[in-house]
Amino acid sequence: MGEFLQIKTAQQALKNQEYTQAAVDLLFQLADDDFILAYRGSEWLGLAPHIEEDVAFSSMSQDMMGHAVMYYEMLEQLGAGKADDLAQLRESGAFRNAILVERKNGLGGYNEDPHYDWAYAIVRSYVYGLYKKVRLEALLKSSYTPLVLGSRKILTEHRYHLMHWQVWLKQLANSTPEARGRLEAAIAKVWQDAGELSDLGPNADSIVRFGLIADEATLRQEWLATTQDLFQKAGLEWPGEPGAAPERGRAGVHTADLAQALATLSEVYRIDPAASW
Amino acid sequence: MNGMSNQTNAENNNFSVYEVFSQKTVSASFVHQFSLLAPNAEVALSMARENFLRREPCFNLWVVKRDDILGLAPEERPFLERLDNKSYRETRGYGDLQGRWRHHKEEFEAKHNTGSGS
Repeated sequence: MGEFLQIKTAQQALKNQEYTQAAVDLLFQLADDDFILAYRGSEWLGLAPHIEEDVAFSSMSQDMMGHAVMYYEMLEQLGAGKADDLAQLRESGAFRNAILVERKNGLGGYNEDPHYDWAYAIVRSYVYGLYKKVRLEALLKSSYTPLVLGSRKILTEHRYHLMHWQVWLKQLANSTPEARGRLEAAIAKVWQDAGELSDLGPNADSIVRFGLIADEATLRQEWLATTQDLFQKAGLEWPGEPGAAPERGRAGVHTADLAQALATLSEVYRIDPAASW
Repeated sequence: MNGMSNQTNAENNNFSVYEVFSQKTVSASFVHQFSLLAPNAEVALSMARENFLRREPCFNLWVVKRDDILGLAPEERPFLERLDNKSYRETRGYGDLQGRWRHHKEEFEAKHNTGSGS
């Protein structure tokens, strides 16, 4: 991607409307993926299988929320609006996260008899995490310098997250038949949505043409090759090409799960958006 | 909450206590930090940082199953007591070595008149 003109600052990007639009479109995907999955992660508080994991999982969700903040701040600098407002005040249709990350954690609700699926939490986090790593590494060569710098920072923290989820996957894969069965069911469920992760949205051509990130096929190929290799090492059967939900989160078409998540997470903020925190 | 009972069950089954040691820098000694419950060492290691080292720099980590550590029972701890009458085991005895050396050197020089004046 060396042939692209490097855009060093938001001010420089704003001189080209088409470039700014492409950067904004990509940034919403990056920000919303991390933000919504971090929110789902926060809903495990007090519910993870044991207390040490509860602390670790919550801490990693906070890290991921921090990654989303970095992207929302980049969006703010590109004139998309205030970072807090972008996270809290947009309606479901304005979100660009993949459907995979918005799915509820399982049956019930956080306040109403939660019967959450831990295997699903691990597989979703891990499979998303593997794609996130490929995406972050591709962003190290982005034409937009703030994205390069931000991705480098996020990668340092993401390494630990991936290791953590990988340990869990290995545990569940080599544990009791019940754990193994739940893990396989979770993989099947994640596989129905995971294919959308490498979707760069309706403006993909422009995003790639400006050198903001590698194209979908490259990202997908690298992600699936890595994932297949790691599944094999964990003794898991490869489920083949992942599918995608009938909705398309990257185009702003979401399930009711996202609307529920947004209503809950922004409830306090919407009471008084002008309040100082 | 439903999850709480799950947490208790998990801990009662086949979890063990792991002691966690951390090293702040490449040249620092490992320091005991805390203990946690985990089903095996790998899981203990994967949870150690997020549980207790979220705000501190950390270069390396060790986890050790507490059962694998042999220590002294309270009734055995008196074994460690000893009399404080063995100054010869300490390097204190060499403390005045420089003074003595100087003394003998001056004595020699005075005797053979090899001082600075010659």
